[in-house]
Order: sequence, then structure tokens, then C-alpha cells
Amino acid sequence: MTWLVWRQHRIQFYVGAALLVAFAVAIVITGAQVANQFHAAQAACTAGHGCRHLGGLFMGSDVVGFLVIATLGAPLVVGLFWGAPLVAAEVEAGTTQFAWMQSVTRWRWLRFKVGWMMLAAAVWGGVISALVTWWSSPTNAEQLNQFNPGRFDLMDLVPVGYSLFAMGLGIASGALLRRTLPAVAVTLAGFIAVRVAITLWVRPHYLTAVTTFSSVVNNFTPAGAYWKIAQGVLGPNGKPIPQPNGIPFFNGIPQNALPASCSSVFNGASTPAPACAQALAHYREFITYQPASRFWAFQGIETGIFVVLAGGLVAATVILLLRRDA
Amino acid sequence: MTPAITTTGLTKRYGKVAALTDCTITVPEGRISALIGPNGAGKTTLLRLEAGLSRPTAGQVIVNGGTPRQDPAFLADIGYLAQDIPLYRRLSAEDHIQAGAHLNPRWDSESVRERLASLKIPLDRAVGKLSGGQRAQVALALILAKRPRLLLLDEPVAALDPLARRNFLALLADGVAVGGLTVVMSSHLVADLERVCDHIVMLSASRVQVCGDIDDVLAEHQVLVGPNKDTTAIERDHYVVQATRTPRQTRLLVRLNGPVIDPAFQASDVGLEELVLAYLGEEASAAPGPSGIPAQLTTVGDEGK
Repeated sequence: MTWLVWRQHRIQFYVGAALLVAFAVAIVITGAQVANQFHAAQAACTAGHGCRHLGGLFMGSDVVGFLVIATLGAPLVVGLFWGAPLVAAEVEAGTTQFAWMQSVTRWRWLRFKVGWMMLAAAVWGGVISALVTWWSSPTNAEQLNQFNPGRFDLMDLVPVGYSLFAMGLGIASGALLRRTLPAVAVTLAGFIAVRVAITLWVRPHYLTAVTTFSSVVNNFTPAGAYWKIAQGVLGPNGKPIPQPNGIPFFNGIPQNALPASCSSVFNGASTPAPACAQALAHYREFITYQPASRFWAFQGIETGIFVVLAGGLVAATVILLLRRDA
Repeated sequence: MTPAITTTGLTKRYGKVAALTDCTITVPEGRISALIGPNGAGKTTLLRLEAGLSRPTAGQVIVNGGTPRQDPAFLADIGYLAQDIPLYRRLSAEDHIQAGAHLNPRWDSESVRERLASLKIPLDRAVGKLSGGQRAQVALALILAKRPRLLLLDEPVAALDPLARRNFLALLADGVAVGGLTVVMSSHLVADLERVCDHIVMLSASRVQVCGDIDDVLAEHQVLVGPNKDTTAIERDHYVVQATRTPRQTRLLVRLNGPVIDPAFQASDVGLEELVLAYLGEEASAAPGPSGIPAQLTTVGDEGK
């Protein structure tokens, strides 16, 4: 079976490998530049007065930066071009009737076809992720944004999970619909829908977020690249204060939520009046966040979710193809 | 000897449409069986059920002593060729030969290479670029290389020219003569089938009309010619397949159920082609409409024997 899988799909493999090599070349060349810039800036920073992090330093090339963001869509490449046609194109061409009438059970045929494809998907996701992770590490260190959607999704483990899921979704929809084009459409829509839904509504809840209260004057900032879920101010009554637009703020509190004693700060006073300072002590700032230390836990949980989804889709494919008439 | 194929009450429905109804047939080992019927009669459905590509709605099918199943040993004994000749269009004949060698326990690569060389079919060209007839030859050579015990061929010769058809049928007959091979093939070309087949299964409107060795089937049927008179006595004793009445004479094609005693009627033997046309014609008259006798069947007389 391996021979047949290789013979059937080797062109796809060559194209995939060529894309990976081209991407790797672009990443390695510009990545080295980025690293140089970063170290130079860091050296300048320490030679000066010392600084916690280098805000706003632009690094790397625009084009490659775009390419790196575009790897968000990389799992779709394998899902759409390898996964969706895997069963559907064979059913369309009738070649399942050739393959399934050799002395090979459908279960064996599927195991090899799907097994090699899943492996290819994992390698695809893994290689791209490794390159992007390496390329982005200075940027991450500088911007402390590894938890942000659009960064978190590009690096470390999760791209492997996404690629497996896209591949599984492609294979399963191809097996269900038996036609390549509808399978491609379903894979595209399904992948985007699941990714968006999990990013927006599931990921923030993998672990219960930490909420920390602090004074509005000396407010608390979590350490490192934490992920802010919510932030605001509680009024003296303990209720969150709405944060309207177009109104001046002082210490995160809108003008209309402050007592009259604080009006001086909006008229140019550098320090609040004593009565105002006293009043401010009754306000509390809160921040709900996922600590930076949870990054790997989140990576692991998200990867796990997508690997389980991919496994479920493969299992559905197996059941479908073994039960249904060929 | 155990039969190669036995089906009992075999039924396949797709939704409400019955593709095959209550089909009970036996194909003994070592036969070349002709599967005949108009388009949509259920021939492909029957072949696919026998190959294990689809599962019956009701009834059972026993092939080579067992139910069709996902088992390498069972699959190794079956050679099934679908009507649309499925091959990997971008792969060459040689690729298919090697795939077969990897996927089958008994595989005769050399026989395919020799056969295709003698037919001047290039081994290294993508089969999608071959002509339809050449592609069919590749598929047929591949299915023989698998060395199955039972060949299920769905209109295998439709794409071949008359000479290629004759050569292929001779090849099949040789294979069966050597022993250990049974063939079931569907076709509309009765003249071809008559040349090599010794067994017949006739389907019409999803039901079996006739099943048996061709010699027995022909012996069972006779043409009775006599005056235009009341034939209810004959119809009571025998099954009238087809009746043609003119003011001067009556011509009945009957399946005999004992001897015919009416001396007014002269009995004569019937040919396979006439028999087939009679059964198909009966179906056409039973269900009048545009779905009549397939065009090919009406022209088989031109083929020459």
C-alpha cells in the first residue's frame, strides 16, 4: 500500500516540499536580520540607561512579516489540496473500485492512505511552526505578545494540531460528499468556523482566569507576556464603571464617575486634591488575565483539542467507508 | 462441486427503487456465464453484490463458498471490472502492474507486459492518454494477472473492436479450459456471448427470468407453430414467453413443462438470440413505453457468427 500511496501522491509531496523549502529560505534569511537588529537594539539599550523592553522597534521585512501571518492559513493548504481529494477524487474517478478489488481490505487501504497523509500534515505544520517560532522569538521577546490571537496560533505546538485537523476535515468531508469540489468548500468553511469559534469562545476558558484587584493609583501589571481577558475599574459601590468614549479619564476612571473634588485634575492640576485622593482610595482596578506561565498549558490544551477533533473525523471516515456501499 | 455463486432471494433497494428483486441463481464452477438484460435490469447491481462492493438489502449471496467480505483471501479470489474501466488516469500501465504486484498475493506481471506488448500498447504512457479500447485492454490484462477464481466483468468488451473482442473472449475461454476459473460477464452483444458462454442469467426489470446452462435452457424452450386457434390449453400447461398471431397462424415461444400433445402444432428448437429477444420483448410489452429493447440487441444479427 505504501508503494501505491507514494506513487499516487508523490507529486503532491514534491510540491509541498518545494513550498516548505522556499518558505524556509525566506524565513532564515530575514530571521537572521531580525536577530541582528534585536541584539543591536538590546545592546544599545543596556549601554544607555537599561530598559525593560524595547517598545515599538520595527523588525524584519514587511513581505516576510505578511508571509508569517499568512501561515495562519497553512493548514488549509493540506486540508484542501491533499485531504479533500484523498477519497473524493478516487470515488469520482471510480478508482476506489480498482483499489478495493485488489487483495486489500478497505480498512488497510484507509489506514495507509490516511496514516501517511496525517503524518505529512503533522510534518507540514511542524516545520512551518518551527520556522515561524524561531523567526518570531525576538519579536515576542520585545512585544510580549505570544499569547495574542494571531501570534499564539502561529507558533510552537498548535500549528501541528491545526494541520492534522484540516487534513482530517478534508478527508472526512471528501468521504462523506464523494465529490471533491463540495468537499473543498466544506473543509474551507469548517476549518475557519472551528478555528474562530475556539479562538473566541473556548480558548479563554481553558484554565480559570486570574483576577487581581489593585488600587487605581498604583495599579498592578502581571509579569511577562500575560493574556489580558478583561480590565476595568470598580466604583465605591463595588460595581464596574462603564467606560464610555469621548470622556476624559483619570487613572482609568471616566470623569463623570468621579466626585467633584477631582475636577481639578481635568483642568490641568498635576496632582489631585487631597479629598480627591481620599475618594480614589475607594475605587479598585481589576484585571482578569491568563498568566504568562500558562502559555505552554494553553498550547498543549489547544493542540489536544484539535488532535482529538482530527481523530474523530478520521474515525468517522473509517466507519463511513467500511459501512457504506462502495 | 460447489457452485461459484449462489444467491437466495437477493434483493437490493436504493431508497424505494428496487434494483434487484428476489434474485435466486446458481452459477456452477468452471462456467462462462452470460448476464443479459436490458439497461437498468440490475446487472451491475448483481455483479457489485457478488464482488462485495455493495451489501444486499435482503437475501444472501455466497461466492466461492462464503459471503463477500473484507478479507484479503476472499478479495484475492475475485476479479471485478466495473463498466467504466476505473484506472488511475495519470499512472502508466507499468505503474498499475507494480501496484498489483504490491497488493495481491498471486500476481503475474509478465503476463500483462507480454499481452500489452503484443497489442502494441505502450507500458509507460499514462493510461488517461490511451484510447478507450487500449484502456480496456490494460484493465482486462490486469484483472487476469490477479489470477482470480471468479471473474466478474461488467460489459468488458463494450469498448473493444470486433477483433479485439473475439481475441479477448478466446483468452477467457482458454483460462476457463485450463481450470479453476469461472466467469460472469454482462453484455448486450448476444452473438459474442453465444460464442463463449455456456451458462446464462437473464434479468429483466430487476428480476431473474432465466438461469441455467445454455443447452438446458434452450432444450426447455420450443417454438410451436400452428393454426390460429384457441391456445388456452397450451397456456395452461406451459409458460408462453411470446405469442405472435396472424389470421393464418399462431407462433408461440414456450418454456416447456412436459411434452406438447396438441398435434396441430409443430415444435422446433429455438436459438439463443431469439430466446433472449423473446424474453426482453415480453418485458417490453408488459411495461410499454420508450424503455424497450436496447438498440444494440436489435442489431446483433448483423454481427455474423
